[in-house]
Amino acid sequence: MQIKFEQFAATSMLGSPDSPPRDNGEILFQRHWEGRAFGMAIALSKKGHYEWEDFRQGLIASIAEWEATHCKDDPDWDYYLRWLSSLESLVLESSLVSEEELEERTRLMLAEADTALPQS
Amino acid sequence: MTENVDRETYSAARVRALESLLIEKGIITGETVDKVIDFFEKDMGPFNGARIVAKAWVDPEFKERLLADTPSAIAELSFPRGMAGAEGENMAAVANTPEVHNLIVCTMCSCYPWPVLGLPPYWFKDPTFRARAIREPRKVLKEFGLDIDESKEVKVWDTSAQIRWFVLPERPDGTEGWTEEQLAAIVTPESMQGAAKVAVPA
Repeated sequence: MQIKFEQFAATSMLGSPDSPPRDNGEILFQRHWEGRAFGMAIALSKKGHYEWEDFRQGLIASIAEWEATHCKDDPDWDYYLRWLSSLESLVLESSLVSEEELEERTRLMLAEADTALPQS
Repeated sequence: MTENVDRETYSAARVRALESLLIEKGIITGETVDKVIDFFEKDMGPFNGARIVAKAWVDPEFKERLLADTPSAIAELSFPRGMAGAEGENMAAVANTPEVHNLIVCTMCSCYPWPVLGLPPYWFKDPTFRARAIREPRKVLKEFGLDIDESKEVKVWDTSAQIRWFVLPERPDGTEGWTEEQLAAIVTPESMQGAAKVAVPA
């Protein structure tokens, strides 16, 4: 049976705590970076850099960790922040990128964002 | 330093940092990421089901084929690859009529035909919803704002790996002469689950 990896990945999350936000049946990205983080996590697994199940378990654990220290209806809840944190951990753990590199590049991007944004 | 940067700016920068490093190292390309996003935003979703419904509304012969053999009828439409494959081959459409209203529930949401219906809403996977939908479907439908006349039969279908059901809703009045595209635009995922009727926007 032929099934696309993207389809397998999304199907495995449905009905589970890691199931992604959606609106009227369509996957919902509220901010540009959410889509990029979502796409990266699936693309890395699709290319064989880690097992999809490992990403899912990391995400489920990250969600559980947040829930253990916050109320259920905490307005600060952010699915894609959990997603990003699991993606980061797995990328570092799989030695695809080193922590120093990531910190250094993040600083660079922040500096860029600083100069790119018009200051009022 | 990071304490002074707001969370949004930081997250956006972090994602850009990650992606730029992965691309630089040749681990992935930006196009691979674009393709994954496109798959979810453009290839798979409720817009596919809406196209099937609209076609069945304007083409009675297609409708007949759709109800008799759903997978081969779907295969007639040129959908992105994967659609007629694993998820599509066990699909079965049930038609709402003046006599019967159909409602879909799911035991295992991993069996939900989302390439056609889109990702299921949160309430759909709720075990209480499923149990109640089977026990008292009229009451549950009423809570959704659907008052089904007592004379009408309500059928509940449990979608599973064996058969992935979806509802062919009734075409609303006031849509005579509409094109397939116009019709597809008003078909909602809820209407294909049987949790709503298709309404003509005011």
